[in-house]
Amino acid sequence: MIEFLQVVLAAIALLGAVATAVSRDPFDKLIALGVMIGGIMPFIVDRGYLDVAVAVALLAPITTIFVLALAWRRDEHGA
Amino acid sequence: MAPELILGLAILIIGAVAAAFPRPKTYLSRIISLEIPGWGLLLVMLAYDETLALLTFIAVTAISTFVMVRVVERREAP
Repeated sequence: MIEFLQVVLAAIALLGAVATAVSRDPFDKLIALGVMIGGIMPFIVDRGYLDVAVAVALLAPITTIFVLALAWRRDEHGA
Repeated sequence: MAPELILGLAILIIGAVAAAFPRPKTYLSRIISLEIPGWGLLLVMLAYDETLALLTFIAVTAISTFVMVRVVERREAP
């Protein structure tokens, strides 16, 4: 991969990881997790593992939806 | 050293610290923080070209998150 692109994507992934760790609201955490996954995906595609990229693209949002349902239910109860 | 390995190790360490000391100390934030080291481990596996391990790991991570969400849901129910 182009080195500039590599540095930018690594910075995006690291910023997403730190933001997920630091933010307090569950919804903020999930959004930051999405930013981190967006930074990691091009590395998988760059190695040529398109089957792995397809599996990640299908399973990552499903996991987010499960956790989102739990976060929404907790928010509704006001906890 | 492959850039994937360095980035994966950095994310793995950040995620491990975040899962050990979550900011609001709740089950939910710990589950979300547990996703971070999973992605770091995925990048480390990517650096060593283990396709079968990657696919298995992704599938099992999704299923285990589903199971953990169910368990926490049941425990949090009044």
